[in-house]
Amino acid sequence: MSQRHPSFEPTLLPPDEGELELPALPENLGFSEEHQLLRDNARRWLSERCPISEVRALAEGRGELQRGLHGELGQLGWLDLAGPGDEGLGPLHIALLSEEMGRSLLPAAYLPSLWALTLLDVAGSPEQRAELRPSIVSGNRIATVAASEADDCWDPAQFRSRARPAVEGFVLQGEKTHVLFAAQADVVMVPCREPTGTIGIFAVGLDAPGVSVQPELGVDATRPAARIELDDVRVARSARMVGDGLDAWRALESTACTWLAAEMVGAADAVLELTRKYATERFQFGRAIGSFQAVKHPLVDTLIAVEQARSLTLGAAALLCSGARPASVAARMAKAAASEALALAVKKGVQLHGGFGFTWDCDVQLYFKRMLQSRGLFGDAVHHRRQLAARLLGAQS
Amino acid sequence: MTGGLAETEELLEFRRQVKDWLADTKPAPPSFKLPQTFLEVESAEQLQYLKSWQACVYDAGYLGFDVPEQYGGRGVHPEKKRIVDQELARAHAPFFVNHLALGWVAPTLLAYGTEAQKKRLLAPLLRADEIWCQGFSEPGAGSDLASLSTRAIRTKDGWEFTGHKVWTTLAHFSKWMILLARTDPDAHKYAGLSFFLFPMESSGVSVQPLLKMTGEGGFNQVVLDAAPAPADCLLGETGQGWQIAMSTLLFERGAAQGASRERATVFLEQLKRLLSLARRRQRDGRSVAHDPVFRDRIVQLWIDVSAIAFSGARSSVPELIAERPMALPLMDKLVSSEWNQRLTELACEMLGADAALWLDDPNAPDGAAWPRGFMNSFGMTIGGGTSEILRNIIGERVLGLPKSK
Repeated sequence: MSQRHPSFEPTLLPPDEGELELPALPENLGFSEEHQLLRDNARRWLSERCPISEVRALAEGRGELQRGLHGELGQLGWLDLAGPGDEGLGPLHIALLSEEMGRSLLPAAYLPSLWALTLLDVAGSPEQRAELRPSIVSGNRIATVAASEADDCWDPAQFRSRARPAVEGFVLQGEKTHVLFAAQADVVMVPCREPTGTIGIFAVGLDAPGVSVQPELGVDATRPAARIELDDVRVARSARMVGDGLDAWRALESTACTWLAAEMVGAADAVLELTRKYATERFQFGRAIGSFQAVKHPLVDTLIAVEQARSLTLGAAALLCSGARPASVAARMAKAAASEALALAVKKGVQLHGGFGFTWDCDVQLYFKRMLQSRGLFGDAVHHRRQLAARLLGAQS
Repeated sequence: MTGGLAETEELLEFRRQVKDWLADTKPAPPSFKLPQTFLEVESAEQLQYLKSWQACVYDAGYLGFDVPEQYGGRGVHPEKKRIVDQELARAHAPFFVNHLALGWVAPTLLAYGTEAQKKRLLAPLLRADEIWCQGFSEPGAGSDLASLSTRAIRTKDGWEFTGHKVWTTLAHFSKWMILLARTDPDAHKYAGLSFFLFPMESSGVSVQPLLKMTGEGGFNQVVLDAAPAPADCLLGETGQGWQIAMSTLLFERGAAQGASRERATVFLEQLKRLLSLARRRQRDGRSVAHDPVFRDRIVQLWIDVSAIAFSGARSSVPELIAERPMALPLMDKLVSSEWNQRLTELACEMLGADAALWLDDPNAPDGAAWPRGFMNSFGMTIGGGTSEILRNIIGERVLGLPKSK
């Protein structure tokens, strides 16, 4: 499996009409019977292990996040991201799994751990990989990534968190927002600006002195997040990833965007199916409401948005598997499209369930809340379209 | 290289060949104005120019990659067809005037025609020696096509047709019409229809031009008054008309595999033209290409055309569409026609009040291509199944929602 990681170049390159030549996708989009089996197994396992009733129980405070669940994901081999020269799951496998998890609203730190593994694989030292990789892959250690800062800042070039060299390593100072599963995690990957202007990525234990985790009180009970404050946190030299931090981050962005897009497509599809079913069962004026065009047409528009987003996501995942440079553009397109598709699905989902849709008891609200968070992770649609515009039309003057 | 699957060496060589041939052979633009699409061909000189071009491409061996050789085609090679279509689009070559015939008459003939019909009709169709039009819609039967009333009566020598067809593109130049008519008025609405290959040179045929909102011609009404045709003009069986027409409509809507990818190339060329416009246009002292509102709208079009292309590639992997196999094919025409409408509308918005400058005004940006294209875009969101009907069909066939009645 190719290990070239596509990097998203800075936006100061002149506009390139070559970008309009859409990339050739790999044969069969790289999809094989193995992928099919994985997807089918995942859907089956998730429907038993994580029915919507469990998600609802969590949201209603009748259940708890289960750390053991994470271990089960490890046992299934789903955290086994293919590292350099390794066997394991590729970007397309993960995208297919993510879609199923989005469908189920699985309350587990699946993607955050994979993000951490991505960084480790691209930029970690052999020692870091040896120490951290096996336990993250097995699910025994929960890892996450601090990807954003205040004011919706997802661009490391704008980060204010700093790392300065010290006698035995580095000292980290700053604040990170929306760190997924930080209160449950063991290790967090933290990008910081360094005095020379580079980005350093540090593997930091969440129990390290100076690290304070403040859970955010979010609407989405299935994906808790926290603010992390780093107050003169001293880390060893070996905590710093050795590869180019910015390159590694750009690689992470491409995979993170693609996998989040897949997850949002799965969630949108679930809402579409809920609403579709309701439209066939709810009768008014002597007929199923789905027979009215005012109900039928928005469902079709949702279907179109979901299928378009799915095509973009699968294409981006296929390009990531082949290590193609255009993957980064496709990843951003997928994230933007999937964010919009999920937003449309939940809006129409609530609206078309009528009065019931407005209540706590309708399951669409669970997906609505996932949308509020997910669409903004690693940058929302506006953010990515702005980046794409710079790519296509040059930096905005 | 437009979101399709990666090509073999053989196909890459073929692509090079096509490119070279086009570079040598593409005709110079004519002195008169050409229509933007096959829907607006008005004059004999426009027709002649376009027929010559199609014949030229056919004679060079680059047309007919979906028709078996024994009928005058080049054998069925969808990848080669795709490559030719892409390179033609990239080279901004003239379109094929026999578009309707190529796109949906030929596949219909291949699916339902007798050997004699296929041998007689396909080669001249490919070469544009014989132009085809489509007699489906009537003044009283548009979206509700099955309610049509054009009557076909069996006579001693064959058939006799009486009725009124409308929106018949290219009828004024056509040798043949695919004609949907009622053979059994007592049968159930769908069961009483039959499909015919009607010779337009019959007596009793009157073709009257209709004008589009742009002032262009290209389509017509066709009045049939006891117009005769031989017995062998029936396609398939009597009573099979609706079934055949539905498959024709599927072809028309681009359900054939690969249509999305070809369309994506054409759309990319359109997007390039839009980018060029954005860079050249100034508003309030700066380039439209630097206006954040327009930048976002342009990027949305780029994302959506990428989705169209990737959906085309996804369609060829059965496992990736297995849960809703009809979704992408049924969405194709709807999504594409609306994309085109959004693009041409955006261009008009970029032009501000200059969008009102028309074809002969020396200051009309890009020769008024954008307001012309925007208005003409409604031909595609209405014709071949309105966007509203298509949403009904998708809602019913893909989402399983009950019919609206």
